[in-house]
Amino acid sequence: MISHYLKLVSGVLRSQLAYRTAFIVDVITVGMSNALEFVAFALAFAGFGHIGGWSLWQVAFSWGLSEAAFGTMDMIFSGFDPARFAQHIKRGTFDQFLLRPVGLVTQIFASDFALRRLGRVAQGLAIFALANAGAGVIWTPAKLAYLPLVFVGAVAFYGALFVFGATLCFWSTEGLEIVNLFTYGGTTMASYPMHIYTDVVRRLFTFVVPTALMIYYPALFFFDLPDPTGLPKIAQYLAPLVGFGVLTLALVSWRVGVYKYQGTGS
Amino acid sequence: MLTTLLAVARQALNRQLVYRAANLAGLVTNAFFGFLRASVLIALFAAKTAPRVGGLDLRAAVTYTGVAQALIVWVALWGWWDLIDAIKTGDIASDLQRPLSVFWYWCAQDAGRAVAQLVMRSLPIMAVYAVLFPLALPRDVVQWIGFGTAIVMAWLLCFAWRFLYSLAGFWLTDATSIGRAAAFLMTFLSGFLMPVGFFPPWAQTLMLLTPFPSFINTPIEIFVNVATGPHMLALLAIQAFWIVVLITLAHVVLYAGLRRLTMEGG
Repeated sequence: MISHYLKLVSGVLRSQLAYRTAFIVDVITVGMSNALEFVAFALAFAGFGHIGGWSLWQVAFSWGLSEAAFGTMDMIFSGFDPARFAQHIKRGTFDQFLLRPVGLVTQIFASDFALRRLGRVAQGLAIFALANAGAGVIWTPAKLAYLPLVFVGAVAFYGALFVFGATLCFWSTEGLEIVNLFTYGGTTMASYPMHIYTDVVRRLFTFVVPTALMIYYPALFFFDLPDPTGLPKIAQYLAPLVGFGVLTLALVSWRVGVYKYQGTGS
Repeated sequence: MLTTLLAVARQALNRQLVYRAANLAGLVTNAFFGFLRASVLIALFAAKTAPRVGGLDLRAAVTYTGVAQALIVWVALWGWWDLIDAIKTGDIASDLQRPLSVFWYWCAQDAGRAVAQLVMRSLPIMAVYAVLFPLALPRDVVQWIGFGTAIVMAWLLCFAWRFLYSLAGFWLTDATSIGRAAAFLMTFLSGFLMPVGFFPPWAQTLMLLTPFPSFINTPIEIFVNVATGPHMLALLAIQAFWIVVLITLAHVVLYAGLRRLTMEGG
């Protein structure tokens, strides 16, 4: 399974690197466009002072973490990117995957690996690194051990959203843009202290789509801040568990979708 | 020739109206991102004792995010790939056989697209905003007329810019990356991410040297009554100036590109 994946992905990567100049421009563009969003926020921030009690560097901490996790996910799970996957359903090319003697999930994972997202990962990590100078996090062994788990959990969680989105394609390829609200909207939302949003929206993104559990609540733990939303302390430690839990759920729903799939008949 | 262009515009409009589900999903996503931006500004203003930042009070700032979200589809801020694709596939050759100017033919198409988006996206977004937040509206007929003029010029200006960067396709095999770079330049410098007035003075000066604030910041400053009287007229004159510059530039580059195209016999 792994060896199939590596073989298929290396082909995908070779084809992406064929147009070297376009690739480099893409990496820089993707990185810059996300970084500039932070630059715009930071420049405007100077005129205000704080946001929901957080300093610019505390925002940068969660911003960088969320962006780096999302960018990493966007590379690994790009085969499941709903916008791309919908094309396989519409054109009937999904049927080709079903005929090949390699596991379906492996093939979809290997069907694309958007290396240009490296730019997004790099800017996320850069903002995160900068943040650490100013956010005043007092690192303890527990926090250092928890950080990679939060990162991996967030990657799994964002990946689950892509898999759910791709699964929806088995029912309808119309109006898929709505998934963006949870993927791109979710990661943008998690970049800021989430207590600034109205209760309804914050609860929706905590209990239904648990984006807040991935970045915001762990950030409270890293900053040693009291929880202004009044959830039990355990909410700050759930990121890896919930991340992989939701991913498992997404892959199960994907399986149901595949069974249900009948093709476009073309 | 004008009637032909009008017919072209009407066709493009009808084509857009077909995608109802996609438009509804896009509307919800635009409104949601608007809600996020508004929440961030509300939280920032809560940290501030002075009622105004960059000429905007909280109500005007929230309105700013609403009009900005409504303008995305009107000016096609996220970019536009039709012309790049036409050059890549060689379909541009058939445009040359029409007894119409290439620039104005594409412009008429884009006008139809913009009007369709205005009806299906921009106006509904403003309606959603009006329900969620108290809005700052143009205070009298003069402001409304100024705003109407400003958005028409903003669209034409943005079209000329999109047309211009798409022409890179004549020289590069994959101009999509150039298009992406051009699109992010536009989102940052136009005041879409944050109102231009929120930036420190040096950044504002740099931004105002480019045509981009005329795309987004100008119409909105007129809408929320920050730009009135002679100030408004000056901003409209700047828009008109950039229209002349970009349309002239677009024609020069277009003819250079076409000469190259025929030389290759394509």
